[in-house]
Amino acid sequence: MRTLLTLYRKEIRAFFLSPFGWVVLAFVAIMQGISLSTSMKALGDAPIRESLVYITFHTPNFWFYFLFIFPLITMRLFAEEERTGTLETLLTAPVRTWQLVSSKFLAAFSFYLLLWIPALVHFQLFGTLTDIAAPFTLGSLLGAAVIIALMGFFFTAVGCLASAMTSSQIIAGILTIGLLVIHYFLGYVPVIWGESFRASGIFHYLSCQEHLQFFTKGLIDSRPIVYYSTMAIFTLFLTHLVVDFRRWKQ
Amino acid sequence: MIHVDHLTKRFGRHAAVEEISFDVGSGEVVGFLGPNGAGKTTTLRMLTGYLPPSAGAASVAGFDIFRQSLQARRRIGYLPESVPLYRDMRVREYLTFRARIKGLTGSVLNRRIEEVIDQCGLQAVRRKMIKTLSKGFRQRTGLADALVQDPELLILDEPTNGLDPNQIRAIRHLIKRLGEKHTILISTHILSEVEMLCDKIIIIDAGRIKAADTPSNLVSQMRAAGRITLELKGPADDAARALDGLDQVRKVSHDLSHDGWEHFSVLVESGADERARIAQLCRDRDWPLRSIYRHEATLEDVFVELTRKD
Repeated sequence: MRTLLTLYRKEIRAFFLSPFGWVVLAFVAIMQGISLSTSMKALGDAPIRESLVYITFHTPNFWFYFLFIFPLITMRLFAEEERTGTLETLLTAPVRTWQLVSSKFLAAFSFYLLLWIPALVHFQLFGTLTDIAAPFTLGSLLGAAVIIALMGFFFTAVGCLASAMTSSQIIAGILTIGLLVIHYFLGYVPVIWGESFRASGIFHYLSCQEHLQFFTKGLIDSRPIVYYSTMAIFTLFLTHLVVDFRRWKQ
Repeated sequence: MIHVDHLTKRFGRHAAVEEISFDVGSGEVVGFLGPNGAGKTTTLRMLTGYLPPSAGAASVAGFDIFRQSLQARRRIGYLPESVPLYRDMRVREYLTFRARIKGLTGSVLNRRIEEVIDQCGLQAVRRKMIKTLSKGFRQRTGLADALVQDPELLILDEPTNGLDPNQIRAIRHLIKRLGEKHTILISTHILSEVEMLCDKIIIIDAGRIKAADTPSNLVSQMRAAGRITLELKGPADDAARALDGLDQVRKVSHDLSHDGWEHFSVLVESGADERARIAQLCRDRDWPLRSIYRHEATLEDVFVELTRKD
C-alpha cells in the first residue's frame, strides 16, 4: 500500500511540476467557459425547457474538448518511461506490476477529476453574477458529475492501455483518440441505420451521447454505471497484461 | 549469493544467452566481461527480474529470480547501462522516491539518503534538477540509487561508460570501497577496470561463457600460447627450419632483417619456456644471439584470444 502511495504521489506531481498539466487545465477551463457562455446566450435568446447543466453539456464544443482530454493526460504515462528506460528501474525495484498500473491510472483519473472543478465554479458563478437563481436542480448537477466521472474512469483506462502498448507518446495519443472517437460513433449507429436491425439495442447500451443526455437530466441509470466500471476494470487488466507481457517477449 | 544454472534467453530464433552457469560467492567482486553484444546486459536483466529467462534458472541470495522475484529484487541494487533517471526530479527527491519504493521509511530513510549522498559525492548537487547534471553526476546518482537500500548484491552494468578519466577513477575508487562490504557483479569491456577491481572474472562471448577464473589464473593459463621474440645473425631460412624443429614450438615467423640481424617470433605450447633451448641451438650452430625475450600475457591477450572471431 505504501509503495502504491509513493508511486501515486510521484505521478500526480508529474502533472503539476511541469507546464504540461497546467496547459491542459487551462485548455479545459477555457472550453468549459465557452460552453457555459454559449448556453447562457441560448437561454437568453429563447425559452428552453432543459436546465442550464443540460444545455452546457450539450453545446457543440463539448465532445471536442472532452474526448481530447484523455490522450493528453494519459499518453505520457507508460510511453515516456519506456522510452527513457526508467521502466526498467521501476520493474527491477520491488514493485509489483499492478501497483505500477494502478498508481498511474489513479493519478491520471484524479487529475481528470480536478479538471472539472472550474465547471463547478462556473455553475456557482451563474447565480452570483446574474442575481437569478441558476436554472438547474441539484439532481441534474449530480447526474452530470456521476456520468462525467464514469466516462472518465473508462476513457482514462483506454488511454493507459494505449500508452502501455507503445514507447511513442504520439502513437499512444493517436491510438487513444482513435479508440474514443470510434466508441463515440458507435452510439450513432442506430441514428444512421435506424432501429430496424436486431443489434440496435447494443448500440443504445454503448451510446455515451444517450448516457450523457439522461444523466444530465438527473436520471441516474444503473446500466451505464455497470458498463463503464466493468469496461474500465477490464481495460486496466489488459494494461497490466501488456506491461507484464513486454517483459516476456522483447 | 548468485547461482546461475543453464540460463538461456532467446529472442525469436536468436539466442542472446545460451546455457550459462556460474556462481558468485558472498563478498566477491566479479567482473562480467565480453565484447559488445555478447549477452552481458541480457544476463544482468534476467538476474534483476526485468527479462524472464527462456530456460534455466537463477537465484539471488537463495531466492529464485522468477518465482520469488520480489524477494530477490529487494536484495539487489541495480544500475542499468543507460542510467535512466527522471529528468524533472531533483537529486535528493529522486533518491527519496527510490528509497520509498524500495521500502525504506522514517529515520532509516533519511539516514540512508544522507549516507549515499555522502558516499557518492553528491553533496554539491543534491538540490539540482537531474536534467542539468553532467554525465558523471548522473552516473553517481544512479549508483546512489542502487545503494540506497543497502543491498546485499550490487549489479552494475558498465558503470564507467562514457565518463572522463577523472570520473572513471572516482567511480572505480568508490566501487573498490563498496567491494569491501558488498557482493558486486560488474559488467564492462574495459580490461584495466576488471584487473583493478575484481576477484574473479567471467568472460562471455556470443552468449556462452568462455572462461571463469581469477585474473592471475587466467593470465597464467594464457602463457599457453606464449610468444618469444629473438634476434640472431645467421641464414634466415636455416634458422627458421631449425627453430621449427624444436619440440614445443608451434609456429615460427621471420619478421624482418635489419643490419644483418634476423628477427624471429616464435609461438610455443602451453606453459613451455623454450628460451634456454633456443639459446643452446644458437650456440651449437654458431649463430650470434643478440636478444631473446618472452612476452608475458596480459588480460588483454586472454580476452582477445577467447573472444576473437577468426
